[in-house]
Order: sequence, then structure tokens, then C-alpha cells
Amino acid sequence: MAGVGTAQLRPSDEVLLQVTDLYVEHSAGRRRTVRAVSGVSFDVACGETLGLVGESGCGKSSTARAVLQLPRPTSGTVTLDGTDLTTLRGEELRRVRSSLQMIFQDPLASLNPRRRVADIVREGLDIWPDHRCLDADDGGTPAPAADRVRAVLDSVGMDLDEIGGRRPHEFSGGQAQRICIARALMLDPQVLICDEPVSALDVSIQAQILNLLEDLKGLYGLTMLFIAHDLAVVKSVSDRVCVMYLGRICEIGPTEAIFDRPAHPYTDALLASVPQIDAGPAVAGDVLTGDPPSPFDAPTGCRFRTRCPRATERCAEQVPELSEVSAGRFVACHFPLTDEPAHPADDDAAVGHSTTPTSP
Amino acid sequence: MNDPHEIPTLVVEDLCTSFATERGPLQAVDGVSFTLRRGRTLGVVGESGSGKSATARSIMNLLPPGTSATTGRVLLDGRDVRSLSRAESRHVWGVEAAMVFQNPMTSLNPVIPVGRQIGEGLRYHRKLSRAAAGRRARELLEQVGIADPERRLAEYPHQLSGGMRQRVMIAVALACDPKLLIADEPTTALDVTVQKQILDLLDRLRQQRRMAMVLITHDLSVVAGRTDDVIVMYAGRVVEQAPTRQLFSAMRHPYTQALFESIPKVTQPSHTRLRIIQGRPPDLAALGPGCAFAPRCAHAQPRCCRETPPLSGSEGADARHACFYPAGTTVGEAALAANRAAGRTAAGLALAAGAAAGADVA
Ligand SMILES: Nc1ncnc2c1ncn2[C@@H]1O[C@H](COP(=O)(O)OP(=O)(O)OP(=O)(O)O)[C@@H](O)[C@H]1O
Ligand SMILES: Nc1ncnc2c1ncn2[C@@H]1O[C@H](COP(=O)(O)OP(=O)(O)O)[C@@H](O)[C@H]1O
Ligand code: SF4
Ligand code: SF4
Ligand SMILES: [Mg+2]
Ligand SMILES: [Mg+2]
Repeated sequence: MAGVGTAQLRPSDEVLLQVTDLYVEHSAGRRRTVRAVSGVSFDVACGETLGLVGESGCGKSSTARAVLQLPRPTSGTVTLDGTDLTTLRGEELRRVRSSLQMIFQDPLASLNPRRRVADIVREGLDIWPDHRCLDADDGGTPAPAADRVRAVLDSVGMDLDEIGGRRPHEFSGGQAQRICIARALMLDPQVLICDEPVSALDVSIQAQILNLLEDLKGLYGLTMLFIAHDLAVVKSVSDRVCVMYLGRICEIGPTEAIFDRPAHPYTDALLASVPQIDAGPAVAGDVLTGDPPSPFDAPTGCRFRTRCPRATERCAEQVPELSEVSAGRFVACHFPLTDEPAHPADDDAAVGHSTTPTSP
Repeated sequence: MNDPHEIPTLVVEDLCTSFATERGPLQAVDGVSFTLRRGRTLGVVGESGSGKSATARSIMNLLPPGTSATTGRVLLDGRDVRSLSRAESRHVWGVEAAMVFQNPMTSLNPVIPVGRQIGEGLRYHRKLSRAAAGRRARELLEQVGIADPERRLAEYPHQLSGGMRQRVMIAVALACDPKLLIADEPTTALDVTVQKQILDLLDRLRQQRRMAMVLITHDLSVVAGRTDDVIVMYAGRVVEQAPTRQLFSAMRHPYTQALFESIPKVTQPSHTRLRIIQGRPPDLAALGPGCAFAPRCAHAQPRCCRETPPLSGSEGADARHACFYPAGTTVGEAALAANRAAGRTAAGLALAAGAAAGADVA
């Protein structure tokens, strides 16, 4: 990764969610802090799905939780429908939060084992009794809670009469994830944040949940922030994709464009590492060497430079800013992979990544 | 290339393993057989709980004797290793046949420096001196691509990244020059870039040492590029078995086919509708009669609910499948068409009438 900057943001009246210059720090004991997110900005338009992808530890979950103010980010703004959540306190924040719902990787762990499914799904209404739950079709009349529970469970393919009285441990991972999704939908959220929602599920069940999320997006007009480390999964549901590395954004833009022609060397390497069924025998080599550097000791300049085959001295000195390489596509790299053959060496002497100092 | 008269490195015949559970016996492995020759890689794919690890652990003699029972034959270089005495088998497991596990953090000892863990086997089985074992451990770390091996030798597992731990696991497994390496989901917990490094490494080491390798994974795409033959498992049984190229050009078992089609692929446009496999894998402690896939199978006919299909193939062919109405055959396509027309299968699964393959009713 790479870069900072806000050039990629669209006018704020065209988007539902806008995150600007987000920093998230976690304390990591012995008075040390990990900077999990460093200057991330993105936005999501109404009805759009933004996929957030990157290797483990790059700050995807930290970003998601900061959007929900759980906990509040170290700095930066998170604007939902014109309201900056980072300035809200107490009751005001609680109220707004109901329109941001989240589902997690481990569905069973996020369901209270002692409660019945019907109560779990209703839970949101009990916490926000004044919440107006609008039916998808007749925008206006609040539906009685029981009907609402039935309708929402129905939309995730479950029958209230059959499962309402059962408890979470009686369900498989895929079924538990459906229950989590139903619970999240109860309050008619404006934005659904999915943090690795299918990573813990079997392939055959994963497809059920991915199709379901796509259906619900149509049915409820959901806006989604969808996080996964699996590139094919992210591609299958996203309209736009944001690639992260070590707390910063590498590139952001329309899904097809990024997958067809990655412009950031990191995206390129990620895609080259994905094993492909139809590509014949795997070709050895030519992807990244080494592991991502420790977040305690992030490289100066471009954070990807210790593993980047195109890195030069400039990459060590200057943090690349996100800039537009083609319509709607923003890349944070001094030497992006563009259509023309790149000549990083023209800029200054190319430094092979093997000789670039690597942080531990 | 391969001498057909050479004794295969591993032959598994009718391997069965059951576990004693609260709900009665659970048949985790049910009649698995295969042959693996020197220098070749066999891929084992299947979903969670299909019996992949149980198969590997049965072969490696790693199951708890009290609660599990294994039958069948395992021949390592022609020797029946299940009938060896304890003293004899001590120098087989972890020496001639070694394993790399799903989770390196739980299979490495957290309180012993990695150098000593790599050298331990060499000292015990090969009777090397401490110094010689240390030197060999250093070489092994270098071979598995760990930078600065001298320093890493003295470190503990928690000081290493996930990818490095998996490399250390591989070094431990390779220490005594095994003929057979079983890698059980060696990259499942790792990021794609590191996954590729580890799979490339295993490939290279297998070639250099002409080891036979079993690569267990739930990911069909890993198997596609990196194995010579594949077996697909469902509910403890092998449901399809074929040379890898042949499998991917003609999947016969409806489960293999459905599994393949349900995986999102980076080569598909975004928002491509995925094929769904209805329902979920069966409870192995409560398997009824008939084909275990029948409740989820779009091809299922009455016979499937009564009889268990044997694993079979045409005379002389390498490819075999356990299905009465295989995909891509006249009977199979007729069964599917009849079910579509009826709107349901013999096992009661609802299907959209006349729908294309990708659109079973959600
Ligand atoms: N020690 C054990 N005692 C009882 N049952 C077991 C034991 N080990 C495995 N099983 C059961 O045997 C079946 C097969 O398990 P196995 O671990 O082989 O699956 P797998 O294919 O490796 O799955 P995964 O992809 O999740 O690793 C499962 O039903 C599992 O619950
Ligand atoms: N609660 C926490 N306390 C300390 N460090 C954390 C905490 N949560 C995350 N981190 C660290 O922040 C970085 C980003 O983590 P995370 O956002 O979970 O990444 P991702 O979701 O992309 O895997 C990692 O280095 C991680 O170890
Ligand atoms: S070329 Fe430079 S700026 Fe671009 S990704 Fe590589 S190291 Fe970063
Ligand atoms: S057609 Fe019958 S035998 Fe074949 S997989 Fe389906 S249910 Fe099993
Ligand atoms: Mg995460
Ligand atoms: Mg397993």
C-alpha cells in the first residue's frame, strides 16, 4: 500500500457513507500502539457494495469497527447521510447506530447461546423500541414486531415456526449466519457491514450466503461494505473494490476494471497468487516474497516497498498519494502498472526488492 | 517417467475408520483406497467433515486408540505398516512418512526453540550428535526459504509469522527425508500470497526429493494446478477419483460438479449468480441407507435412496465415480431432465422446472 489522499472521494451529496482520513490505533501493551489504519478515505453510494480486500492484519476489521464507532477512530470523520458520527455522543450516537448493522466471520460466536432465535432476531426492536421498521414495499406503516420477524426470517430462507424456538447451538454455521443477517435486517439498516461473512463457511454454504446477500441487496436496497480476504468472493459481490495494505489504501475503483487490469503492484501480486481452476498447472515464482512487515515498524514512504518489485528510492522517501489513473480509478503508487510499458528506472535508479532494506 | 513395476510408495486399501461418539459410532472414513507412486501428488478435496483429515490420520496411525477403530491396509513401499510391531513402526511414522498439519501453531511446541524441534527427529531416529542435528536444522531452514536461519534457530514459534511457522513445520516434516509427505490443508490459515509461496515450496521439495505427496485441501483450485490425481470425498467416502486433468475436463459425480460450480472464480464477471448446493453435509453418526448425497442431489432417483453406489469406472479407465446417474452420461442427463420436469427429485429436493444447471431453487 501505499497511499493517502482524498482525491478518490465523490461529492458528499452523491454518497451515503463517507470516511475521511481515518486513523485507528490500538494499544498493544507495554505502552506500544499499533497503527492499524493510517489515513484511509473512501465512500459508498446508496445501493452500492464496496469490497474491502487485503491480507490479514491490513486493517480491514479495524476500519469496519471504526465506521461503527466501536471504538471511535483515533482521528478522521465518518459521515452517514450527512451526519458526522465521530461528533455524536450518547443517545444520539446510539440512535444512528441502528442504521449501521454488522455481520461477522464467526456467526455462532455472535449469537447469544441462551436466547431463542425469535428473540435474537427481535432483539434490535427491543433495544430501539421506537424504531420505525418500514416494510420494504409499503414505505410508511410500521409492521408489528412478530410479522416483521417472520418476514425477515423468510427473506433469509428460514421459517419462524420451525426455528423460532430453537437456540443457536442447534444450527450449522451457514444457518447461524442467516440468523445474524436476519437480526441485522430487522432495523432496516441503511448500511450493512459484512466482515468476512463467509470465510468460516464451507464452499457449498458460502455460495448460499453470497447469493442471499445479493438478493437482499435488491430487496432492501442495501448499501454494503463487504470485507473479505478472498479475492474471488469480493469480486462476486462488489461494485467497487478497495485494496488495502498495512493500514493504507493501494487502489480503489470499479471491480471489473481493477480485476481486469490491476494498476497497483500489490493488487497485481495478489491476483497473481490466486490459484485458478482453469489456468492449468500453477506457475512457480513471480509473486511476492516474504511476509508483510510488522505494523509496529511500517516502512517509510510507500509501505509496500519492501516487497514491491518496482520499488525505487523515491518509494522510500515519499508516501504515494491516491491519484486518478482512469475514470473512477485511483491508485497510490509512484509507478503504477498502466497500459504503457512502465519505466520506473527513468525516474531514478531501480532498487530490486531483494536489496531493499526489509523491516522485521 | 514412471516405471509401472516400481513398487508404489503408498497403497491404501479399503481404509475404514469409525469414532465412538455419544450418539453412537461415527463412520468418518468408509472404504478409501488409492495408490500413490514416487514423485507424484495426490489431491484430496472435500468439504469440512468429509473425512480428509481422518483419512490422513488413519494412514499415519495418529488416531486415539481408545475412541477410534481403523481397518484396511496401508502399504508403504510395499510393507504393510499397520501390522508392524511398536518397535518397528517407531522408525516409520514421522521418518519415512511425515505430515504437515492444518494448524502449525498447535502442532509446534511453544516452549522449545524451532531449531531443536527440527533437530529432535534427527537425534532420535538418525542418532546425530547435537551439533550435527543443529547444522542439519540450519540447512533445512534454508531449504524452506527462511531468511537468516541462524537467528531463527533459537526463536520460539510465537516469534514467527504464520507463513514462517508453516515453513518450520515443513522443515520438521522433512528432517528425516521421508518418502511420503502428507500435507493437511497446509495453507488454509494463510494469506494468498503466502499460500502460493508455501505451495511452490512443497512442489519444489517434492521434485527435488522425488517424494510422494498427498495434498489435502477444501479448495478445488489448489488441487487443479498442483496435483497429478484427485480424490473427492463426501461423507467419508471417495465419490470421484481421476487424473486431475481428466477430472476437470469431465466431472462425473453430481457433487463434484456442484462443488465446482458453487465456487466464485476471479475469472467470472462480478455479480455472477453462484450455483447453490441445497442443504448441508449429512450427520455421519446418523447416515441412512442409499447415497449420502441424495438429499442434495439434483439427479437423485428412487434407487439412490435405497442403494449405496459403489466407486466404479469403465474397464481400464483411470477415472471412477460412485454414482448411479453420473453427470454427462445418457442416464445421468435423463435423470436430471426427469427431475426438472417433475419439479423435485426422488429424495424430495425441489428443483425449478426446466431451469438451467445454475439455478436450482433457492
Ligand atoms: N477424534 C474424533 N472423535 C470423534 N469424531 C471425530 C474425530 N475426528 C474427526 N471426527 C469426525 O469425523 C468426521 C471427519 O472429520 P475430518 O476431521 O476428517 O474432516 P475433514 O474433511 O478433515 O474436515 P475439515 O475440512 O474441517 O478439516 C467428522 O464428522 C468429525 O466430526
Ligand atoms: N483490539 C486490538 N488490540 C491490539 N491490536 C489490534 C486490535 N485489533 C487489531 N489489532 C491490530 O491492528 C492491525 C489490523 O488488524 P485488523 O483490522 O483486525 O486487520 P484485518 O481485519 O485486515 O485482518 C493488526 O496488526 C492487528 O494485530
Ligand atoms: S512502485 Fe513504489 S510506490 Fe508503487 S507500490 Fe511499489 S514501492 Fe509503492
Ligand atoms: S444420482 Fe444418485 S447416486 Fe448419483 S450422486 Fe445423486 S443421489 Fe447419489
Ligand atoms: Mg479481520
Ligand atoms: Mg481437516
